[in-house]
Amino acid sequence: MSEPAVTAKQQSTWDRAVAWGRGIIGQPEAGPFALLVGAIITFTLLNGTFMSMLNVGNLLAFTPELGMIALAMTLLMTSGEFDLSVGSVFGFTPVFMWFIFNEGIASLEVGFLIAIALAALIGLINGLFVTRLKIPSFLVTLGMLLIVRGAALLITQGFPQRTWQAKDQILSEILVGDIFVPTPWGDLRLYMSLFWFALFAVILGYVLMASKYGNWIQAAGGNAMAATARGVRVGRTKVALFILTAVMAGYSGITSSIRVSAANPNSGDGYELEIIAMTVIGGTVLSGGKGTIIGTIIGVLLLRIMRNGIVMSGVDALAYKVFIGGIILGMMALHSYMARRQRAEA
Amino acid sequence: MTEELVRLEHVDKWYGRVQALDDVSLTINSNEIVGLLGDNGAGKSTLIKIVSGVTPLSSGAIYFHGKKVSIRGTNDAIALGVETIYQDSALVNQLSIARNLFLGREPLKGPRILNHMDKKHMEDVAGRLLGEVGISKNIPARTPISSLSGGERQAVAIARAMYFESELIILDEPTNNLGVAETQGVLRFVRNARDSGHSCIFIAHNIHHVFQVVDRIIVLRRGTVVADDINPKQTTIEQVEKVITGDLEFIDGEMSPSAGAVAVAAAVVGEASPVQ
Repeated sequence: MSEPAVTAKQQSTWDRAVAWGRGIIGQPEAGPFALLVGAIITFTLLNGTFMSMLNVGNLLAFTPELGMIALAMTLLMTSGEFDLSVGSVFGFTPVFMWFIFNEGIASLEVGFLIAIALAALIGLINGLFVTRLKIPSFLVTLGMLLIVRGAALLITQGFPQRTWQAKDQILSEILVGDIFVPTPWGDLRLYMSLFWFALFAVILGYVLMASKYGNWIQAAGGNAMAATARGVRVGRTKVALFILTAVMAGYSGITSSIRVSAANPNSGDGYELEIIAMTVIGGTVLSGGKGTIIGTIIGVLLLRIMRNGIVMSGVDALAYKVFIGGIILGMMALHSYMARRQRAEA
Repeated sequence: MTEELVRLEHVDKWYGRVQALDDVSLTINSNEIVGLLGDNGAGKSTLIKIVSGVTPLSSGAIYFHGKKVSIRGTNDAIALGVETIYQDSALVNQLSIARNLFLGREPLKGPRILNHMDKKHMEDVAGRLLGEVGISKNIPARTPISSLSGGERQAVAIARAMYFESELIILDEPTNNLGVAETQGVLRFVRNARDSGHSCIFIAHNIHHVFQVVDRIIVLRRGTVVADDINPKQTTIEQVEKVITGDLEFIDGEMSPSAGAVAVAAAVVGEASPVQ
């Protein structure tokens, strides 16, 4: 007589497992995560040195720099806006900082603060144009992209700034100092920027998912009128996110300039689209209302691994954009399918 | 004895050179559902935007419980106890029922710097309120609003207003695009709100819905109040429609043909007369 009861219990456990599995698959991060795992396995099979400590170290050197901007962009896009000027700010901010330092106007630390304040001002202007003048963020930040890039070229007359004194500075060690971590497969070189990226990811993930500001950000992007009617300061929220995004872009640019010992006024060109791609691949909705920091981290890793893996596996590096375009279209189709399925089930 | 909740006195509103409201004076009493009717462009939306703090008045005064107040933004209106439920846009589709319920007034826990939303409390309250407003289905409070029907969404919005003890709930076209059963559900929620001590301003194009639920009707025409005390129990829907269009005037509690309607009728009679 006890046999049917056991069967029913097993059935219940199975049903729960199926429901749990469906819940996991239904998450927006599931698709890009599966693709990430697939890419790592494929590139490892194609080239044994893909997972070598040297290559992993190289991968993790540049990833945080774009990743930090993508984190801020996730919040901005969740609020229904985006910023095309981040690539220009990435190039301009270090150029301005090194210009101040090299001309003897201020110390590197003071130059850093002034440059970051300038990046914040760029974000503030973007935000005020979008929220007060009601101009779409595409047009405002496109204009800012040109202004900031032009300013960087004007200041430097198109020449890179000297950065070789960076190694002697405490600021450099804090932002992008390196350590060697011993592993059974050799030493792994990690930069401080990876730590800062992880810290920012935790903070911004907490803000988006657990704090009241996260609720406001999602509401601002989902239904600004309803949010306003509930007393949410939609305009201020968006302006704050424009400032955060610009500051992150400037900070990342400075980090990158110290790591590669070069501050080129043209650096960061085209990063804006790559960063937006990282964000939407991860599951953040371009039209706003829905965002995921975990998805963005997966998107950042996926695109960096694709770029690295394509080169390492001997495929023409110029094919990178073809792959990225394909991934974006594939992920968008997947997200659309999942959303329709969820609606149908509801 | 009726107690005055909100009073508008000589309120004007100008958008540039266009006057949207002209010397509007009206009163909403406690525990009263008032229907606000008028044709497109009559000034209904402008009026509720002023009371809910979306736009400032150009001149005039607003009183709450007899005390003159200044409403400079939605937060001022919310602080006074005004909750506005806009047509199709009261809620954020992507957020859960619980997150919508507490949007703008999220309960927090934890130390000040690291405080976070008290999600358990939010979900507990949301679950209880869904039962109170009569949503019979067992809908988890984590369900996104996009998964709810139109009637359920309005119910959530009304439940929110009731939970936060809003004294005045403004409902802008709450029955728009709803089926018959859902409409009856929303009308029931509105009656429940009044019975539990809230006042409502009910705006709807469907006068049949207004007649089912309101205690009094105010009619706006081209920015002015042309009737402020129509009793739906002593008036027909056709008469109110004529007041809205201007064919009837409502003066001192009496309906009478408007001067324009009399002139038109006389002209028609004149044309039809063989003597003339």
